Amino acid sequence: MEKREIFPFTAIVGQEQMKLALILNVINPALSGVLIRGEKGTAKSTAVRALAEILPQIEVIKRCPFRLQASETGEICKKCVVGDCPSSRDMDCVPETCMAAIKVIELPVGATEDRVVGTMDLEHALKKGEKRVDPGILAAAHRGILYVDEVNLLDDHVVDVLLDSAAMGVNTIEREGVSFSHPARFTLVGTMNPEEGELRPQLLDRFGLCVSIEGAHDPEERVAVMERRAEFDDDPKAFCQRWQEESRALSNKIERGISLYPRVTIERPLLFEIASFCLDVGVDGHRGDIIILKTAKTLAAYHGRTEVTSQDVAHGAELALPHRIRRKPLQEVASDVNALRNQNRKGKAV
Amino acid sequence: MFHSKVFPFSAIVGQENLKLCLILNAINPGIGGVLIRGEKGTAKSTTVRGLADILPPPFSLVTLPLNATEDRVTGGMDFNRAIKEGKKILQPGVLAEAHQGILYVDEINLLDDHIVDIILDAAASGMNRVEREGISFCHPASFMLVGTMNPEEGDLRPQLLDRFGLCVEVVSEKDPELRVILMEERERYDQDPDQYRSVHGKENQTLAEIIKQAGLLLPRVKITKPSRAFIAELCSTNNVAGHRCDIVLEQAAKAHAAWLGHTEVTLDDIGIVAGFALFHRKRDAAPPPPPEPPQPDKDELDKDQPDKNQDDNEQNEDPEQTGQENPGPPDKEEPGQEGIDKEPGEMETPDKNQENAPETGGDKNPQDPEQVFEVGASFQVKKISSPKDRKMRRGSGRRSRSRVSQKQGRYVKSSMKRINNDVALDATLRAAAPFQAARDIPQGLMVCLKPEDIREKIREKRMGNFLVFLVDASGSMGARGRMAASKGAILSLLLDAYQKRDRVAMVSFRKSEAWVNLPPTSSIELAASYLKEMPVGGRTPLSAGLEKTHQLVNNALNRDPGTRPIVLIITDGKSNVALGENKPVDEALMFASKMGEDDRVKYIVVDTESQGIVTFGLAPKIAAAMGADCCKIDDLKAEALVGLARASA
Repeated sequence: MEKREIFPFTAIVGQEQMKLALILNVINPALSGVLIRGEKGTAKSTAVRALAEILPQIEVIKRCPFRLQASETGEICKKCVVGDCPSSRDMDCVPETCMAAIKVIELPVGATEDRVVGTMDLEHALKKGEKRVDPGILAAAHRGILYVDEVNLLDDHVVDVLLDSAAMGVNTIEREGVSFSHPARFTLVGTMNPEEGELRPQLLDRFGLCVSIEGAHDPEERVAVMERRAEFDDDPKAFCQRWQEESRALSNKIERGISLYPRVTIERPLLFEIASFCLDVGVDGHRGDIIILKTAKTLAAYHGRTEVTSQDVAHGAELALPHRIRRKPLQEVASDVNALRNQNRKGKAV
Repeated sequence: MFHSKVFPFSAIVGQENLKLCLILNAINPGIGGVLIRGEKGTAKSTTVRGLADILPPPFSLVTLPLNATEDRVTGGMDFNRAIKEGKKILQPGVLAEAHQGILYVDEINLLDDHIVDIILDAAASGMNRVEREGISFCHPASFMLVGTMNPEEGDLRPQLLDRFGLCVEVVSEKDPELRVILMEERERYDQDPDQYRSVHGKENQTLAEIIKQAGLLLPRVKITKPSRAFIAELCSTNNVAGHRCDIVLEQAAKAHAAWLGHTEVTLDDIGIVAGFALFHRKRDAAPPPPPEPPQPDKDELDKDQPDKNQDDNEQNEDPEQTGQENPGPPDKEEPGQEGIDKEPGEMETPDKNQENAPETGGDKNPQDPEQVFEVGASFQVKKISSPKDRKMRRGSGRRSRSRVSQKQGRYVKSSMKRINNDVALDATLRAAAPFQAARDIPQGLMVCLKPEDIREKIREKRMGNFLVFLVDASGSMGARGRMAASKGAILSLLLDAYQKRDRVAMVSFRKSEAWVNLPPTSSIELAASYLKEMPVGGRTPLSAGLEKTHQLVNNALNRDPGTRPIVLIITDGKSNVALGENKPVDEALMFASKMGEDDRVKYIVVDTESQGIVTFGLAPKIAAAMGADCCKIDDLKAEALVGLARASA
């Protein structure tokens, strides 16, 4: 079967905040995800799916169903009840590794808990007296991107499972006295239309960044959207080829960002700026501070700098804070963080 | 299983109270655990994990997953051995794993109540008794229980709260300097966790040593009679229920003395720990709920508290405060703002409304100007749920009990029907037992199971409902602050609906029509903003409202027959516009009795008519026609229920 072409990430018109948020997460997985809030038909899903094309490669163990890295083997491999990789039988062997692209795994809204967590084939166990595990979506998403469309419509107990593994980086398959755990650390990317209901605060907090998007208002931009789409539908292959150059340039920029990140520094006054930003707008806890800092550093790395600027901090706050601002019960998520801050400051000055 | 790296306990910035509470419990497990209340992202988990990391080996940290089932918690039959060896052996659960360690329950207020019960029982008795699935077993399970909760997500029942020895409130640091240090430490850790851990290894060791020494000293710590008297006095002035608080306080004070290295409890020791023991137990002279943190931004939650409610009422009686001057909904309130503006929770002054209302409020005048009333005071809502039935449902939420077709919830019995491979091992073995003699048992096994033996579990759990609000927005509701009070009641129900994960819809009626203001949604925020802006004025087409609601509910039932609608009708019942030829009131009654025939729907009529010399009592009539409960707004309050129980006791 011929590979279906995906609309290239770089060819998406506008939606700069969303694209940036996604790129930053690729450069620095510690940002722990993006929540994309917005109306229907704003290229949310297209962007996330297209991300796969520009993702860098990581080292994984060959044939490992959990896509472990070399440092993660050991205890888990001894108990592994799935794979047929040599390390599950022979503890002394040095596992073979290979390079593989980071994956984007989609979690469908209707997914059952079994599908997400993984299942134990109980009937098999009853008949043969041995365990057999079928790993779920969380196993596949380890070290990759877990994409949840309409994340606000997920069943509550699937949300619980997501929260558990997001918090601990571990997923546990448990049925009838059998328990098997494997690492599950992923970048959580969710999209939602706020009109259909809000997220629970804890889940909201798990998303590092949050962007609100809407359709373009500029007619010219709208026309550009239509044109590109038509071009793509006409001849996907040729279209993708035309954008190949740009995609490669972006991949390179991302890779440079990744290698630059550890060397990025920030001056202390800017840390105070971050703290006062969070205090001014009123956020719960300290995760906001930490995420702004990481976002600002990632931004600097992305732009090829090793020094964080105050613009990076302001931009980082814009991405990291909207969903963290303390709200009265039943109040909606803030849209403009900087405006809110100025307003609050004015309020205090008076 | 695998150790994800832990941030060193000694390097955690701030959160001194939390650290102290955890350390005291590590010194003296007799204190009975810690409940950590507070906002997200305040290093709750990090601190607990950090502590477990420095405690000596048998002290392990076991985390209870949010989706844990009962058999996972208590332990269940070990199926491998049951089939291979033919033996009934308990496969240890979370409680056994946590023995002599820390059991950490994140978001304990989101756990199923029956699981919380099991855990607290074990924590209190130090034993885990399993009497299920044909196994009877008992093993020691003494552990330090640490729970966290975010009060926004709903509170724990007072009985459960009381079981936690100490309760500590965590908030984020307000000092920028500290926040900066926190960020710096975190970055340093993230850059090289191993290096960072080794730098702080020494401090951690010192701390572990002090804890160990304090634990050894503890048995020799004495407490004098006057100190005990001081504890007793503290407890009685704070109106705590029962004696657990006294005992916890004594144990905590002893641990604190040992921590400081002296062998006699001082008044200071007691003073320092008293706050943590009293936090969740102290009550006002009146009913119990635990005090909310005095944060201005959480004011609306504070309204749950009886004392706060009183304040509001006082304000409401204050004629100086004018509400009428507020035309329409106030501009969107800014979240961070420190409650300077009038909060939506504050009630309009009924007095003022009354002045304007008589002319506008009369139903006779169809030319009523439209008004938008503020949202009145909100309160904690009493329990509302639909009756139990036998239908299987899928879903989640926290309101009504239902049979479920997923592997969640409590195992109530088994069935031969195969649905989802949720095998009930005990029942399966029992079903297979009579035939064992006649079957060839496979090599290596002790039991031969055939597909027809397999039994599945039938489970039960709580689920969200579909709440429909039918709101009377006619002119008569504007009188005497009725609308403000009704809006307050609806807002309270909405907050409750969020915590129970319900879907909601809102229908209102006025002038000559009814509208679906809010189609079924899970967005409680949307519902709240519609509620705020809902105008009032005009005549009362109650039957139109009933009809619209009936349609809405039927559509929902057609789409998903598992839906369990609860319809709340908020009205004074003074119907004066009919759809057909009949008298408006008669027509409404007729509709009502027709709607009452559908037993899949539960109706509750909230009568807003205030007590006066002349009352029409029409709402109760509608309720009677529907076979629904009828209550006043005040009856919806949780305190009212407590009050009732008290009066009858």
